[in-house]
Amino acid sequence: MFEFLFKYPRAVFAKGDLVLLGGWPRWVLVLLVLTAGAGLAWLIRSKLPQASPHVRNWKAGIIWLLQFALAALLLLLLWQPAVLVAELRPQQNIIAVVVDDSRSMAIADGGATRAQQAAKALDGGVLDALGKKFQVRLYRADGRLSRIAKLDDLKTSPPASATRIGDDLKELAGEAADLPIGAVVLLSDGADNSGGIDLDTISTFRSRRIPVHTVGFGLEQVPHDVEINDAVVAPRALADSRLAAKISFHQRGYAGQKAMLTVRDGGKVLAGRQITLAADGETQNETLLFNAGAAGARTLQFSIDPLPGEENKDNNSVSRLVNVESSKRRILYVEGEPRWEYKFIRRAEEDDRIVSIVSMLRTSENKIYRQGIADPKELADGFPSRVEDLFPYQAIVIGSVEVSYFTPAQRELIQQFVDRRGGGLLFLGGRASLADGGWGASNLADLLPVVLPNRKGTFHRDPATVSLTPVGADNIITRLVEDPAGNVERWKKLPYLMDYQEAGTPKPGAVVLAEMTAGNRKMPLLVTENFGRGRTAVLATGGTWRWQMSQPLEDQTHEQFWQQLLRWLVTDTPGAVVASVPSQMLFDDGRVQFSADVRDKNYLPAADAHVQAHILGPAGTAAEIDMTPDPNSPGTFHAEWTAGQPGSYLTEVTATHDKDELGRDVLNFARMDGVAENFHTGQNRELLEKLSAETGGRYWKPQDVSRLPNEISYSEAGITVRDTKELWNMPIIFLLLLALPSAEWLLRRKWGVV
Amino acid sequence: MRLLAPISALLLLGGLSTGLLAFQRGGYGEDEFGNAREARTYYSGDENGKSEYSWSRLRYTAAGAGGGGYGYGRWSSWSRDYPKADRQFLIALKRLTRIQARPVEQVVDLDSDGPSSIENFPWVYAVQAQTWTFTEPEAKRMREYLLKGGFLMVDDFHGATDWEHFMNGMLMVFPDRPVEDLTDKDEIFHVLYDLTERFQVPGEQYVSTGRTYEKDGYIPEWRGIKDDRGRVMVAICHNMHLGDAWEWADDPRYPEKFASLAFRLGINYVMYGMTH
Repeated sequence: MFEFLFKYPRAVFAKGDLVLLGGWPRWVLVLLVLTAGAGLAWLIRSKLPQASPHVRNWKAGIIWLLQFALAALLLLLLWQPAVLVAELRPQQNIIAVVVDDSRSMAIADGGATRAQQAAKALDGGVLDALGKKFQVRLYRADGRLSRIAKLDDLKTSPPASATRIGDDLKELAGEAADLPIGAVVLLSDGADNSGGIDLDTISTFRSRRIPVHTVGFGLEQVPHDVEINDAVVAPRALADSRLAAKISFHQRGYAGQKAMLTVRDGGKVLAGRQITLAADGETQNETLLFNAGAAGARTLQFSIDPLPGEENKDNNSVSRLVNVESSKRRILYVEGEPRWEYKFIRRAEEDDRIVSIVSMLRTSENKIYRQGIADPKELADGFPSRVEDLFPYQAIVIGSVEVSYFTPAQRELIQQFVDRRGGGLLFLGGRASLADGGWGASNLADLLPVVLPNRKGTFHRDPATVSLTPVGADNIITRLVEDPAGNVERWKKLPYLMDYQEAGTPKPGAVVLAEMTAGNRKMPLLVTENFGRGRTAVLATGGTWRWQMSQPLEDQTHEQFWQQLLRWLVTDTPGAVVASVPSQMLFDDGRVQFSADVRDKNYLPAADAHVQAHILGPAGTAAEIDMTPDPNSPGTFHAEWTAGQPGSYLTEVTATHDKDELGRDVLNFARMDGVAENFHTGQNRELLEKLSAETGGRYWKPQDVSRLPNEISYSEAGITVRDTKELWNMPIIFLLLLALPSAEWLLRRKWGVV
Repeated sequence: MRLLAPISALLLLGGLSTGLLAFQRGGYGEDEFGNAREARTYYSGDENGKSEYSWSRLRYTAAGAGGGGYGYGRWSSWSRDYPKADRQFLIALKRLTRIQARPVEQVVDLDSDGPSSIENFPWVYAVQAQTWTFTEPEAKRMREYLLKGGFLMVDDFHGATDWEHFMNGMLMVFPDRPVEDLTDKDEIFHVLYDLTERFQVPGEQYVSTGRTYEKDGYIPEWRGIKDDRGRVMVAICHNMHLGDAWEWADDPRYPEKFASLAFRLGINYVMYGMTH
C-alpha cells in the first residue's frame, strides 16, 4: 500500500533528503504560500456577512483550510519536489546474509525449526532477488562467524551451543572494512548468551553507515513455559549453615497452578516446597532455606518441576556454586557481669561445630572467668590490647560492659577490628550496655547502627513483646519459619523478653529486623548495619533466655535464633586473602578474571605480596598463574585465565611475603556449555529492533521479508550512487488534487452554502 | 449465753495468736512478682524486686505432712532456715561477686505459672529433700526445667535413710540419669573459688554438741546429676547443712571456717549455674 501511494519504498523517504528541483528561490515559494493563505482568508472573511449563518463559525475555517491546502500543494508542485537518496550500485556491492545457527534456532515453534523457517524465508525468492542486484555472501553465526556457500550447508552442520550475535557482528564488521558491504541481513531469534551487543560493535556499523536489517524468528511469547530467571545464593557458607536462596522466575500458561520448587545437591534433595504460580509474565520471587551441609564445593541445582504441556523443560533449573567452608570461627564475648543471657547464649552455640564462643566474664571485681579458651594464656590479661591478639577472632560480642572498661587503645582496636579487619560486632542490651554504659558518648558510637539516647536509665527490667519488621520477616538472621508470613506469626508468639533497653534511633543505612513493645511503646530490638569491611548489630535486650526456659523442651527457637545471628556475624569476616571471580558460572565462554584482596598480618593492604592462583579442573587440568598487583588499588591482585573445557574448577589463591605465608583462599567456578541457550528461548525482538534501529536498518517479520530486496538498495554503505526521485507524479499527489476540492464541495453542499 | 464469754475468749486468743505469728513471720504471701511480701517490706526501696538474679527456694509438698506440709508451719520442711539463711547468703553473694542479686529470696514451686513461674528463675535451692514428693506433672516439669538449663541445689539431708527418700523423688525426675560424685576436677569447684579442700559443714547443733554430722551422715558427699554434655544440673550436698552455716554465720559461737566454706560453695554453685 505504501509503495502504491508513494511510488517508492519507505526506505527512500527514511534515508533520502527532500530537494526542490525548480529554479526559483525557495523564499518565493514561502511568500506565495503565505500570500495565498492570507488572500483566501481575506476573501472568505469579506464574504462572511453575506453567507448563511450556518457557516459563520469554525466551518468557515475548514473551508479556508481545504482551499489553502490545495493552493499550497499546487505551488509546491511548481517547484518540482524530489527526494535525493543514496542507492547501491547494482552488482558492485555485497549483501552479507547472516543466519543464526545457535541451539535456540533448533526450537520448533510454528511447525518447523527457526533455522528451517529462516532458510525457507531466504529460499522463497529473497536470495534470488538479492542475487540479481548484488553479490550475496552467506554466513553462519554460531559463536564464530563462518562463510557458507549455500543454505544447505546450514543443515549439515550441528547446531552450536551458544549464540553471540555481538561477537559475530563484530567479526563481520572487521571483515567489512575491506569489502564493499552495502547492508547486512541478520536472520535470528535474538537469543544472545553474552548479554547483548556492545556499543563498540554498533558504532562500527554506524560509522561505516552499514544498515543491519534483522529478520526475527520464533514466538515472542512462549505460551506454556516456566523459566527460572535467576537464583541468588551466597557463594560462601560455613558448614552446617542455614542458607537462603532467592529464586526468581516467570511463567506463561500456568497462572494459579501449583508447582514444586526444590534445591538439590547432586541427586539429594536439600529442600523443597510447593508454590503457587503468579500471573502470566510476572516475575515471581521465592526463598528456599536449606542446610549447607558439610564442607566442600557444592553445585546446587534450583529447579521447578516441569508442568504438563511445558514446551521447554530445560529452562526450569539453574545451577549455582557454593563453597562450604569448614574453618573454625571464633567469637570473643565480653560480659561485664554474670547474667542468664550469657549462659544461654553459650548453651545455644554449643552444638555449632564451626562457630565457637570464647568468653570472658567479670565474675567479681578481681576475677575474669574465661570459657572456650584454646590455651591457658588466651585472654589471661583480659581484653586484648594488641592486633595479633584480637584480630584472630572473627567477631566480638559486647554484653553488659561499660565503655570505660576498655582503654582508649582497646577502643581504637575494636574500631579497627570492624573497619579494617572486617569483623562482626554485636552489642547486647544490659544495665551497663549502650547508653547506660556510656557508649553513645564514646568514639565507638560511630560503630553502632543506632543513635543512642542521650541519657541514662534506658535499661528496664520489664517485659517486652517482640515482632518482626517486613525486612525481618524474610531475613536469614530472624528466619525461624520458612514462610515469611508464618515467620511473622511465629515471632509474635515468642515468650516476652525479660528486659529491654531503649536503643534510640536507627541510623540511615541501618536495617531494623525486629522490634519490641513495652506498654504502648515500640522500639527497635535488632538492628544491623555494615561498617567498613565489617558489620555491626545491636540486640537491645538481655532477656532472650526466656525463649529457652519458657517454651517446650523440644523447641529450638532460642538456639536457632542465636546460631543464625552469630553465624551472620562471622560468615563474611574475611581472611587475609579473599579471592573472587566476577561470576562463578561461565556460560559457553571460558574466559575468567581472578581478583584477590591480600592483607598482611595487621590486615593492612599487602601491596608487595607474591600471589599465585593454583587451578585444578576437569580431565586433569592444572595451572599455576602469578597474579599481578593492581597499581590503582594496593593489595589487590588480578589474573586472567581461560577454562578450556566445560566442568568445575577449583582455585586456591595463596599469598606470601618473604617466604611467610600471609594466607590462602579457595574459590570454585564452572564452565557450562550449551546451557544458556535453553533460556530466553522466545524471540528477543527488542534486541533485534534495537540493533536495526541503531544502524539504520529495519526489523522485519518473516512474512514481510519478500520486500527486503527492494528496500535494501537504499544504503550509504558500499558503492553507491545518488539518485533523484521526483515526487510530482506520485499517486498520492493526484489523489490529493482530487480529494481536496471534492471535500470542499461536499462540505459546502452539506452546510448549504454552495 | 453462758457460752458467749468462752467463745469470745477463744476467738480473741485465736486472733492474737494469728497476729503474733503474722508479726513474727512478717506477713507472708506473694505479690504479683511472687516475692514474699515481708521481704519487700523489710527491704523496701531496695531494687524494687527487679534484679538479674533471684535466690529461689523450692516449695514442695513434704511426705507425710498432709495439707500442712505445703505451707509455712514448723513442719514445712522446704522452709528450713528460711528466710535468714537465704538473705545472709545473698548479702555475701552481692558483696563478693558482680551478680546483681535481689536482696530477698524468691519462693517457687512446680505448680505456678505467670511471673512467679519456676522457669523465670533458672537457679533453685531445696532443703530437707528427703521429704519432698512430686506428682507426675511436677516431676516432668522439674525434669524439663533442668534439661532446658535450670539448676537445682539440694542441701540439708543426712544419712542413708534420707538419701533413700531423696532418691525416691529424684528418680521420678530423672529415672535413668546416674548420680555421680563430684570431684576436685569438676568445674563447679573452680568457677570462682578453688574448693579442693572441702570438709563437712555442720548445722547449728555443732555449737552445743561439737558434732559435725547428723543422723548417720558421717561423711560429706558432694554429688551431682549431669546432662548429656557433662554439665551439672543437680548439685547434691548430702550429709552437710550449708543453710545452717549461712543462717548462723553471724553467731560468734559458730566457727568461721564452716561458714566460710558454706558461702564459697554456695557462691560457686550459683556462679556455675549462671555460666554453664
